[in-house]
Amino acid sequence: MTLMCNFLRLKLIFIKNDYFSSLEGTFLKWISFHFLFTGEQILLSDNASSLAVQAFLQMCELPIKVVCRANAEYMSPSGKVPFIHVGNQVVSELGPIVQFVKAKGHSLSDGLDEVQKAEMKAYMELVNNMLLTAELYLQWCDEATVGEITHSRYGFPYPWPLNHILAYQKQWEVKRKMKAIGWGNKTLDQVLEDVDQCCQALSQRLGTQPYFFNKQPTELDALVFGHLFTILTTQLTSDELSDKVKNYSNLLAFCRRIEQNYFGENGKGHIPLRLA
Amino acid sequence: MADKSFVGGIREPRQGLVRVIRRGRSGWGGGRVALERSEVSPKLAPHFGFRLSEAERRGGGHFRGTRGRGGGKMAAPLELRCWGGGWGLPSVHSESLVVLAYAKFSGAPLKVSVIDNTWRGSRGDVPILTSEDNIVSQPAKILNFLRKQKYNADYQLSAKQGADTLAYIALLEEKLLPAVLHTFWIENDNYFTVTKPWFASRIPFPLSLILPGRMSKRALNRILLTKGEPPHYHLKEVEAQIYRDAKECLNLLSNRLGTSQFFFGNTPTTLDAYVFGFVAPLYKVHFPKVQLQEHVKQLSNLCRFCDDILSCYFRISLAGFSPAGQDTVDANLQKLTQLVNKESNLIEKMDDNLRQSPQLPPRKLPTLKLTTADEESNSFQPLSP
Repeated sequence: MTLMCNFLRLKLIFIKNDYFSSLEGTFLKWISFHFLFTGEQILLSDNASSLAVQAFLQMCELPIKVVCRANAEYMSPSGKVPFIHVGNQVVSELGPIVQFVKAKGHSLSDGLDEVQKAEMKAYMELVNNMLLTAELYLQWCDEATVGEITHSRYGFPYPWPLNHILAYQKQWEVKRKMKAIGWGNKTLDQVLEDVDQCCQALSQRLGTQPYFFNKQPTELDALVFGHLFTILTTQLTSDELSDKVKNYSNLLAFCRRIEQNYFGENGKGHIPLRLA
Repeated sequence: MADKSFVGGIREPRQGLVRVIRRGRSGWGGGRVALERSEVSPKLAPHFGFRLSEAERRGGGHFRGTRGRGGGKMAAPLELRCWGGGWGLPSVHSESLVVLAYAKFSGAPLKVSVIDNTWRGSRGDVPILTSEDNIVSQPAKILNFLRKQKYNADYQLSAKQGADTLAYIALLEEKLLPAVLHTFWIENDNYFTVTKPWFASRIPFPLSLILPGRMSKRALNRILLTKGEPPHYHLKEVEAQIYRDAKECLNLLSNRLGTSQFFFGNTPTTLDAYVFGFVAPLYKVHFPKVQLQEHVKQLSNLCRFCDDILSCYFRISLAGFSPAGQDTVDANLQKLTQLVNKESNLIEKMDDNLRQSPQLPPRKLPTLKLTTADEESNSFQPLSP
C-alpha cells in the first residue's frame, strides 16, 4: 500500500444553537462541516485517538465540526487530544466523551448485556494498554523515529529554541511513564511482539463478524478502527508496525468496512487519510 | 503487559511434583520440609552435575542432602524467588502470587525460595525465576517461559477465550492494580502499620530502612504517572478515581465469573491466576483502612473463588507452612476473644439483673432506744441506698 500521510491536528467542535431547547429531543443542529488540515504537526498516537473519537461520533450520527489548532493539546482539560467542545462544556478523551454522549441520550452499547459490556471494557483497555503504549513507545523511545519524525513534528509550530525544548521535555515525560509501567526495558522487537499479540487477540475476537458485537458497531469498534487505521496509513521509518497489522486480513476488512460506511463517499464524513 | 503465545498452545500439561523448601524463620515450623523426589527426564541427566553446582550456588546448600543420599535425581530445577506469605496466603505480593498460582495450576515443579532477612539472593524486581542460565523477571515473561517449558494451563482454551484472557488481564492491570498498590503502599495507615513492618522484617538491616520506602515511592510514581493527569490535580481526586475504577472492575469480574468455579469452566487458567493474584491480597490481608476489602467481601463469588483456590491448591503441600501456624494462632485468638466477649456479656447481664431486681428496703437499724433510735433511724434514712 502506498501511504500518503497528511497529518493533522484535530479539535472536534460541536457548535450548537438550540442546545438548551432540547424539548423535541433533538440534540444538535447540523452546522456546515469544515475541516482544515495543517499537515505537519500531529503524531501517530494523537492521530489514532482523534480518529477513534471521530469514528465514534460518526457512528452516533452526531454532526461535528472539525477544527484544527496548534495548541489543542494545551486547550484540552486533560492535556490530551482530541476533545470536544459543546455549549460551554469541554470533554476530552474517548472514555469521558462516550459517557458524556451517553448522558445526552446517545449510546452505541445499550443493546449489550452485562457480560458483553464487561468484555467490551476489557478489550478497550487491551487496546489502550497495548496499542497506544506501543505507539507512544515507537514514537518517543525509538531513537530512529524520534530523530527523523517526532521531534520535527512536535516542535513544528514553535520557533527555535522552543521547539527543541518542548520536544525533549515531552520525550522525557513519556520515557518516565514507560519506565514506571515496566516498558522501559523493552526492546523494539518485544514491543512489536506485543502489538502482534494484541492484533491476534483482536482478530480472534472479531472472527468473521462485521463488528465486534455482531451487527452494530460500538465504541470498541471505533477505538480499534482509530488505532489500526492510523497504524496502517502512517509512514514511519520502517514498516514493521503496519506489517504486523497487515497479517490479519479480517482486521483489514474491518477497517475498510468502517471507512466506507462512516467516512466514505456517501457524504457522511470526510477523512484525510486514505487506505490505498 | 499481557501474556503471549498461549493460544493454540501445547496440548498436554506436564505433571510434576511441587517441591517447596522454606528457609524458615524459627517459629514458623523450622527449617526444611521433606524433599520429594521427582523423575528426571533423560535429556537432563548429562547436565546434572553442572546444574547441581549452579543450583547449589544459588540455593545455598539445599541439595547437599540429596547428594549425600547418593544420587537423588530431580527435574529441571526452576527456582522462584519471591516474597513470602501471611494471613493465609502463600505470598503477600501480587505478582509473586500470580506466578505461584500459575505454577500450581500448570503443575510446574517450582522450587520457591522466599526472601528472608539474610543477605542471600536478590531482592529487586521480584518475582524472579531462575533456571539453568535463564533469569526471567516479570510475571508475564515468567508465565511465557513456563509455557515454553510445556507447563501450560491454557491448553483447553479456544482462540476466543485466549483473546478474552488477554483483554481481562489488561483490564486488571489498568483498573485494579493501581488500587491494590494504593492500598498496600500509599494509604498511610495501611503502609505504616501493616506493609512496612511486614516487608522490613523480611529485609536485612540496613536495607530494611530503605527498600520499603523505595517500593512505596515507586508505587506512587506509577499511579501518578498513569492516573494522575489533569483534571485530577490533587492526590485525593486521583485516589477517588482509582477506587471507583477498582470497584467497577471487581463488579465486572464478579459478573463474568457468575456461578462457575473458574473463569473458563472447571479448570483454572492464566486468567484465574491473575485474578487470584490481585484479589486475594485485598481479601485476606488485614488492613486498618478496608474500603476495598469491604467491597470484595460483598462479592461473594470472588471470595469463594479465592478460598477455593487456597484450599485446593495451596493447602496440600507442606507441614510447617507458616500460614497454617498463623491460622491456628488466629483461631486461638478468635476463641479467646469469643470467650472474653461471652464473659463480658454475662457480666453485663448480671449487672442488668441486679439493677432491675426489686430494691431491698433500706435496713432499719434495731431500735435500741426508743427516742434516740428513732432519731438515728430518721437521720439515717437519707443515707440508705
